[in-house]
Amino acid sequence: MRWLEGSPERYDAGMRLLTFGRIAKLHAAVAEAAVAAPDDRVLEIGCGTGAVTALLQGRGAHVTAIDQSPEMLEQAQRRPSGKSAAPVEWLEQTAAEIDRLPTAAYDSVVLCLCLSDMSSSERAFVLRESALRLAAGGRLVVADEVRAPRGWRRATQRLWRIPQACLGWLLVGSLSRPLPDLAGEIRNAGMHVTRARAWMLGSLQLVVAERRP
Amino acid sequence: MSATSGYAISWLRDGFLEVLQTAFRLFPWPTEAGLRSVGRPDASSPVLLTGNYDLTVRRLIRALKGCDVWLVVAPSGGINVWCAAAGGHLTTHQVVTALKTSGVADKVDHRRVILPQLAATGVLGLDVFRRSRWRVRFGPVSMIDLPAYLAAEEKTDSMRRVQFSLSDRLQMAVMWAAPAAVLLGGISLWVEPAWAIPLTLLAIAMSIGVFTLYDRLGNARRWILMATSVALAVGITVVAGGDAAAIIAAVAAPVILTAALTFDYTGSTPLEGGSHFEERKWNIVLDKDRCEGVFRCWEVCPEACFEKLEDQRKVELQHDERCIRCGACVVQCPKDALFFEDSDGARIEPEVIRRFKLNLLGERKVDAG
Repeated sequence: MRWLEGSPERYDAGMRLLTFGRIAKLHAAVAEAAVAAPDDRVLEIGCGTGAVTALLQGRGAHVTAIDQSPEMLEQAQRRPSGKSAAPVEWLEQTAAEIDRLPTAAYDSVVLCLCLSDMSSSERAFVLRESALRLAAGGRLVVADEVRAPRGWRRATQRLWRIPQACLGWLLVGSLSRPLPDLAGEIRNAGMHVTRARAWMLGSLQLVVAERRP
Repeated sequence: MSATSGYAISWLRDGFLEVLQTAFRLFPWPTEAGLRSVGRPDASSPVLLTGNYDLTVRRLIRALKGCDVWLVVAPSGGINVWCAAAGGHLTTHQVVTALKTSGVADKVDHRRVILPQLAATGVLGLDVFRRSRWRVRFGPVSMIDLPAYLAAEEKTDSMRRVQFSLSDRLQMAVMWAAPAAVLLGGISLWVEPAWAIPLTLLAIAMSIGVFTLYDRLGNARRWILMATSVALAVGITVVAGGDAAAIIAAVAAPVILTAALTFDYTGSTPLEGGSHFEERKWNIVLDKDRCEGVFRCWEVCPEACFEKLEDQRKVELQHDERCIRCGACVVQCPKDALFFEDSDGARIEPEVIRRFKLNLLGERKVDAG
């Protein structure tokens, strides 16, 4: 959610408020899906304040975390980590620059709440390049705001968007948009969706995918 | 649907959006980032880049009528170029992202991109080249000058300077008048419906007054504006036979409007830098020993503060009194010859400006240490 990035020190509290506390469960599920075994190599795109990074580290992963915001990275690096945790490689760069990272080098690539800030062409590029960064048997783990299923859940989401948009504009004047078809975009990038899970009336989704052989 | 009715609907839709977005341009109006073609561009056509502010993109496409260009729309949070560049929403990151993901590289056989000059406060041209292999040139300040700039392939002096024409002033007035009128009119309808029309008219009149006359009123301008508007509002109320409550409203409304309209005057105009915010104390300084006459500061300064000394391969900061602290010169200077300094000699180095901004609409994060 780019609109909270303008104030990294408030980002975590803001996300807890906006997700009614569900954000912790989402982060835990992302970390669990991303790390199959200790010493897994994980590329985290858009690490923000490092909440997921710390969980990945806690599970013994070797994490490369990238974010375009120096303020966010500063905040993430201040987060305490366990003594035995492997050091994180922090990179200040955009998601569109992951094509400079080695191919087939990671056991999982994580994108948590950052795809919904991107344009459709940027999402297609990032998902395609993420797939190329995965080693054989690697997993793509994506969690983001999505368009809720039709009916009362979609209507509730739309009503909630009004105060959410106002709050977003008041804070830093920017907005994110729920993704219309997250699983479909992941499939279009050449990945095979193996698992999906939803929270908050279907408006927050976790999708795990593997690269098609 | 016939072609004529389709054209009419499109014309009406554009007109409606133009009015709505001009009136409420305080809000972000994002459009999809990505690649657009204007006219019939080919592999050698120029590539332009702008932010994803819908009003700008639609006006830009109109201004480019008759040109054949590729237009890359970069994600700027739905905010206009200058505000986005100054506020950290249109930076090197967004430009690199747009150039790499929009597909423009597959459309052209060159790697030259033209950015609006006002993006120079947030986008580091040399860094864009290092990270994407695209060479950045900063085009004219105003999109109206683009066809002439593209034809001549160079900027004239007037294309480099930011203007605040009557049309610009009226647009800024409308931008503040519309939400002020909605707010005051709405409150009036709830408290006392008879006040709704007078207070709405007051909001419109004061907005026009601020953006057409305010910068010509001197240092006491806030008090002049407040006193004049209170006197006029009270006078009209008394003549119209208003009661005590109406007279109180006639005093309170102009005072509140003066505070609101002049609070971030700097952010709404290119006339001055710093307003009452902290950055007002910082002044631009040129280290002549470091200057090697690259002239990027001269190219990007929207207030023409610099003069070229061609024979010495140096610039001179000849009009520092015009500086609005946008920081574009500091950001672009490859020799780090420009920085901000306050009267006590404390400095803000160029690298701090590049990373955290210090300019008229930035995040106002000052770290001189």
